[in-house]
Amino acid sequence: MTSDYKRFALTRAGQAVVVVLLAYVLTFLVISVLPGDAITNTLRDPQHGLSEEDIQRIVAFYGLDQPVIVQLLLSLGRFLTGELGFSLQSNLPVSQIVGDALPSTLTLATSALLIAIVFAVVIAYGAQYLPGKWAATVRSIPSFFLSVPNFVIGLVLIEFFAFRLHSFTTTDPNSPVATLFAAITLAIPVSAPLAEVLIASLDHESRQEYAVVARSRGLTEARLFAKHLVKPSALPSVAMVALIVGELLGGSVITETIFGRDGIGTVVQKAVTGEDQPVLQAVVSLSAVVFVAVNLVADLASPLLDPRVKLREKVGA
Amino acid sequence: MNTFKTPEFRRRAFFAGLGALSTAALVTACGGTTASTGAGSTTPVDGGNITFLIQGYDTGWVSSKTSISSYEGNLWGQITDKLVYVNEKGVLSPWVAESWEELNGAKDFVIHLKKGVTFSDGTPLDAAAVVANLNAWAKGDSTRGVSKVGLFPSSNFVSAEASDAETVKVSFSSPALGFIATLAYHGCILLSPKTLALPVEAQADLSQEIGSGPFVVKSWKQGDTYVLEKRKDYNWGPAALGHTGPARLDTITYKVIKDTSVRTSTVVSGQADVAFNVEPQEIESLKAQGFTVGTPRYLGFVDGFQVNTQAFPTNDPAVRKAIQHGIDREEIRNTVYTSDWNAATTFIQGNVPEAGEFSDSFEFDAEKANKLLEDAGWTKGSDEYRTKDGKTLEFTLTPNPYVPSTKAEDELIAQQLKKVGIKINLKVVDVAGYAAVQASKPPLFQTSRSFVDVGTVAGVLTSQNKGEDWFGLGTSDQKLNDLSTAIATASDRASREKVADELQQYVLEQGYFIPLNQLVQRLYLISPKIKDVQYNGLAYANFYTAWISQ
Repeated sequence: MTSDYKRFALTRAGQAVVVVLLAYVLTFLVISVLPGDAITNTLRDPQHGLSEEDIQRIVAFYGLDQPVIVQLLLSLGRFLTGELGFSLQSNLPVSQIVGDALPSTLTLATSALLIAIVFAVVIAYGAQYLPGKWAATVRSIPSFFLSVPNFVIGLVLIEFFAFRLHSFTTTDPNSPVATLFAAITLAIPVSAPLAEVLIASLDHESRQEYAVVARSRGLTEARLFAKHLVKPSALPSVAMVALIVGELLGGSVITETIFGRDGIGTVVQKAVTGEDQPVLQAVVSLSAVVFVAVNLVADLASPLLDPRVKLREKVGA
Repeated sequence: MNTFKTPEFRRRAFFAGLGALSTAALVTACGGTTASTGAGSTTPVDGGNITFLIQGYDTGWVSSKTSISSYEGNLWGQITDKLVYVNEKGVLSPWVAESWEELNGAKDFVIHLKKGVTFSDGTPLDAAAVVANLNAWAKGDSTRGVSKVGLFPSSNFVSAEASDAETVKVSFSSPALGFIATLAYHGCILLSPKTLALPVEAQADLSQEIGSGPFVVKSWKQGDTYVLEKRKDYNWGPAALGHTGPARLDTITYKVIKDTSVRTSTVVSGQADVAFNVEPQEIESLKAQGFTVGTPRYLGFVDGFQVNTQAFPTNDPAVRKAIQHGIDREEIRNTVYTSDWNAATTFIQGNVPEAGEFSDSFEFDAEKANKLLEDAGWTKGSDEYRTKDGKTLEFTLTPNPYVPSTKAEDELIAQQLKKVGIKINLKVVDVAGYAAVQASKPPLFQTSRSFVDVGTVAGVLTSQNKGEDWFGLGTSDQKLNDLSTAIATASDRASREKVADELQQYVLEQGYFIPLNQLVQRLYLISPKIKDVQYNGLAYANFYTAWISQ
């Protein structure tokens, strides 16, 4: 088991590094094949009235006239040494842009994840133990949560709590109350898949023999839920949480835009619209690192949590 | 089995519900703010802080590299001064330049500076500082990635020299009537020589951008919040604004809120004082609620189409004229915009002093458009579209991504032209795609561009003097060549105005340009308690004179 596990862990970690590097190269290539680049597009804005020669000179200054492969190697080299370069749009260091935006997004994403977990557990519990008619309604909540667009939830919450009840001001989006509502906005769509997985595995586990036996011995449903069902049902949900990291980042773009929060989501959005390659490169790589790391931890933890997870199959897969 | 029905569950549910309710109540009570709407007096008072909600500060703070977007321009306007002030009517007046002389047929200029002006780092704003700025605007520094200022007349710029501490002499190799006007352009902001000498990465740091304006940067967080505070020793604002001494407001906080509806509602609910660029359709109801909506005009070209006279089907003069008459601009104003948008009278904005009145040459007249096409041999087929020699009368329109409302505008134009038998295909592209479309020289290309001086017009109409050749004519139209040359090289304003008139009439009669409407590019939603916000000729709000009514 131990040597098997060591081999499994090393392979998984190696794969993770490859994934991050591939994400980096792929991002670079995708941005490179887009028509034009941030600098020339900005300079070509007719308001500026710059001549083609001026534009060429500035393009040369940024090295954008070099072959793609040269640009890629230079960029990759800088990335591996931790040098993220300067934003093409704002000329500020990329590390400063990302560093400024990161805390806000981390706060938002972490609170949203916690709220989503609470929502999911409450929904799943309701779906199991409410009377038939109610349970059916509760079971439809995840699909409802998924079908209401994120921005609608955000705008409704802002309209009601900020503008009518004055619970918070939109000009101070980092206040605790504003953060809470932003986190709820982000948590609602994120909680839906979590709740669905949890409901499905609770359904499955509660039909298992051990549950039936426990029930026949007179164990109350609440004790059965807490003592026996939660742990095995949570395993697929843990895997789900790892996948949700991506969802949190995607959703944060909209949530941050609506709540006026400055964060990674807004940084991504700005970088995409401005084709700001160094910033985009850094954020995509950072997301890849976070995503891969969370999944790596989940992967490495699952055989420890549940001995039934077979290591060899995993390695081969 | 059913926990929900147990008394214990009900008791818990009750307390849980109670908890939720009390939390909501607590939250509500904590954040409560009461907006007081006083009757307001008319005597300006000093002090107070305002919050200005803006869409973004995405393109950075290197002033010459980005040529100042609408967003940066708003903030720059408060922390920097210019040599010359331009009002909404295009009239120039002194600012840091107290007076100026135009010599040698507008080839040489002497600028006399106001005394005692300083940058906020203590450096004097003297002739040496102005020379450093003029050189930066005219030449840029490509070795540092800094470009020149787009509209600056740099091709004939020879030199700028300080004659003494308050006098600058500027020379051009050919007449530059537009030079003084350009000094009022939002790209020509005066920065401390220390700032100009910085490498581009350091210029990107807003706190290193030292100007001489009525406000200075107190703190900033890129893409989020920018706090400006009043400079107490400021005493050199433009006389045209009717105020001396420091600004009245203590601070201005620019806060980025990307979502337009949230910006609007935040001001409406009293949580902020000014919002930039609200939806045109909301203007009426906002005004009805007592809010001020500033829709200042900029100097420049109207929103309209440059025509490629070489492409099918606009190589046919009848088609060009039919498009001019086939577009119902009134309907566009009523549907896409509001009555705050003015009708175009020519292809330049009405507040440009030389703008003429030529509405007749492109007025909406569907019958006339139909007749023009009929006479030129374009006959309607069974699908209501016209054909000639087996070719359908159709082409593609690409909305201008720099002006979001042009998409709705072009959709409407497609419907209108369908009624005269012209088929329009719409192609919506982003900024990158737009550059590619422009390079492909389509039949109609949507334009809206600001300038400060009508002399600039000559540089775009033909290919003379590296001109942009808007109409694809090269130098083939002798009359247009002559008129362009005459407007570019005019050395006095009276004769230039006459030429400008002739030029406008000729371009419109030939169907080279299809005007749509006078555009409002910058909209300001302002709380009723904020008084005396003024706008310059480039539609930027100036908060130097603004104050808060109690």
